[in-house]
Amino acid sequence: MATAGIDLGTQTVKVVVLRNGEVAGRAKVFSGFDPVKSAEEAMAIALKEAKLTREDLKHVTATGSGMDQAPLKDSTISMMGADAKAGVRLFPKAHTIIDIGAEEARAVKCDDKGIMIDFVVNERCAAGAGAFIEAMARALELKIEDMGPLSLKAERASTINASCVIFGESDVVTLIHRQESKPEIARAVFDAMADRVSSMVRRLGINPDVVLIGGVAKDVGFVASLKRKLGVDLSIPDNPEFAGAFGAAVVAAGRAKEA
Amino acid sequence: MKEPKNTQERKYVAELPQKELEDLRNSAKAVSDRVITENIERMKKTSANRPEAMKYFDDFATFALRETELKDAKAKGRKVIGYFCMFAPIELIIAADAIPVRVNSGWYDTSKIGDRIVPVEVCPVIRSTIGAKMIGLSPFLELSDALISVLTCDGMTKLSEVMSDYMPVIAMPLPRVKDSPHSLEFWREEITSVKKQIEELTGNKITTKKLRTAIELVQKATKAFRRLQDLRKGAPVIMGRDAMLVNQVFLWDDVARWTEKTEALCDELEQHVKEKKWVCPPDTPRVMVTGTPMFWPDNWKLPSLVEEASPRGVIVADELCSGERLLYDPVGVDEWTSDDMYRAMSERYLMASTCPCFTSKDGNEDRINWLLNKVKEWNVQGVIYYVVRGCMLYAMEYTRVKRVLDKLNIPTYYLDTEYTREDVGQMKTRVEAFLEMLSARVDI
Repeated sequence: MATAGIDLGTQTVKVVVLRNGEVAGRAKVFSGFDPVKSAEEAMAIALKEAKLTREDLKHVTATGSGMDQAPLKDSTISMMGADAKAGVRLFPKAHTIIDIGAEEARAVKCDDKGIMIDFVVNERCAAGAGAFIEAMARALELKIEDMGPLSLKAERASTINASCVIFGESDVVTLIHRQESKPEIARAVFDAMADRVSSMVRRLGINPDVVLIGGVAKDVGFVASLKRKLGVDLSIPDNPEFAGAFGAAVVAAGRAKEA
Repeated sequence: MKEPKNTQERKYVAELPQKELEDLRNSAKAVSDRVITENIERMKKTSANRPEAMKYFDDFATFALRETELKDAKAKGRKVIGYFCMFAPIELIIAADAIPVRVNSGWYDTSKIGDRIVPVEVCPVIRSTIGAKMIGLSPFLELSDALISVLTCDGMTKLSEVMSDYMPVIAMPLPRVKDSPHSLEFWREEITSVKKQIEELTGNKITTKKLRTAIELVQKATKAFRRLQDLRKGAPVIMGRDAMLVNQVFLWDDVARWTEKTEALCDELEQHVKEKKWVCPPDTPRVMVTGTPMFWPDNWKLPSLVEEASPRGVIVADELCSGERLLYDPVGVDEWTSDDMYRAMSERYLMASTCPCFTSKDGNEDRINWLLNKVKEWNVQGVIYYVVRGCMLYAMEYTRVKRVLDKLNIPTYYLDTEYTREDVGQMKTRVEAFLEMLSARVDI
């Protein structure tokens, strides 16, 4: 049986096609101005990779901030629901699942059966999310993918305030004027962001295994900072940015069986 | 004739140019009318078997009918006394043959006008009330001859100063430690002092007989009110938003008529219980809302989201001073002596309140007990803890409430928002995830 999950995020649309519980195809396309078109495009690519057609899909579940607009869907699941599903499927002992995307960070708490029992979302501000790293990379004239590895070379920790992207940027400028090194400033950026995320997660309680998903989980600099702040090891799947779409596809499989 | 207050020099609020004021008022009024119509249409759409008796409350939700009545009453020499917090003893106002109206603003747009006077960090209920006054949007605030302002939170305390630019304000300081030996005594003195001020303002003496009549009138309202809330314990015969609207209309309605209409509504609801005419499927997740008060018409977004979400929820209870806390507690008089009536009023308005402005040796345990009772008796499955930015007291009490409800395995979600329409998308995501969790659709 084949199903699919569409994660219509703020920056990119991700599609995962699942065949008999295994990932058979996936695709990522920028959401852009016409996310519906982007979603159709992503679906076409993922189906091609899986060597399937839309008619082969028994059920399609959409998630993400734009899920109501998602085309080709049979049902929807909240982002937190998709996170929980993905986290537990990928790491059966998962109790805390942290998802950090471009503009939102959230954390989900699951019980021993893997059922979501609580969640938190960052307070309508991008300072704890990927957009913050992007803005700071710009200020440091770095490519976003270089910032993480560079930060690992920092010899000491400086601090900035990540209460807000704009203020964070002016803090970075202050460090630049103080002639701090780039690795140190980069690390300060990740530390500040990890601070925000960890205090959010602490409101739920840190219950291992802790899973980190979402695009930002690919950033080694951020991952190192978050491990330090939480004081626990993090389980990170391959292709963490597809976890939401994967969770939705798993939900779709469950719903297809029910029907 | 007495000089109208607003031609005197103002201390806080700079005069708006007439043209700008009118433009602002006209556009805010147009939005308000539209929002009222939309809200009621949406409420009708959401509810199956919506009780016929809701029509009265729908009609009075538009402000205009009551505005006309108040104008007529004023033309006959009666006074209108506005109040902000539910601690204002409305029995005294009624006993002086004046009309009580609660005047907190629920308009989103006027909070931006209030930003000209106070910073955006201030609670939007306060900013919006200031803004509403600046452009004369609220008919009830405009018709008020005086205001009773109970100094509960910091925002309310300073709001009363700003309002004194426009009309006389009777400020009532509130003791914050309920179980201190002097609190009740102090509060009783305040009530006595307010009585004198109301007598002066209205020129009417509050006699023992008149006070008894007023207390009995409000007791009847309390009875009808409790009957309505009790009907929400079982399978849903009224949507939360409809019950909340009934509660809101009390804020400006004639007490006797409101009581009669609410009793009629309850009669109809009891009939619906017998006929099993539910407003939504009986297995719809049962939600309670607690936190910052919500005021009609704009600040209706959270209840709308809950009851229109997919999956959908139904609000069966709330712990809001704009909702179920309004009239839940009667003034309990033992003997109808003047002394005993004032004692009973002091106790009802002080001891029965679960406002987070209070503390005691045990913290604000009265609120916890109220919430636990609601959860148990109303079969609440999940609690949304609603806070507007700048509402410090409710925000700070969250941790305590969350810990208590966690122990009972009642999911609680903290939802913070502003007086704005723009965040509805984000709120929807959260509310739907919460309801999904309650309806156990996430069955891994």
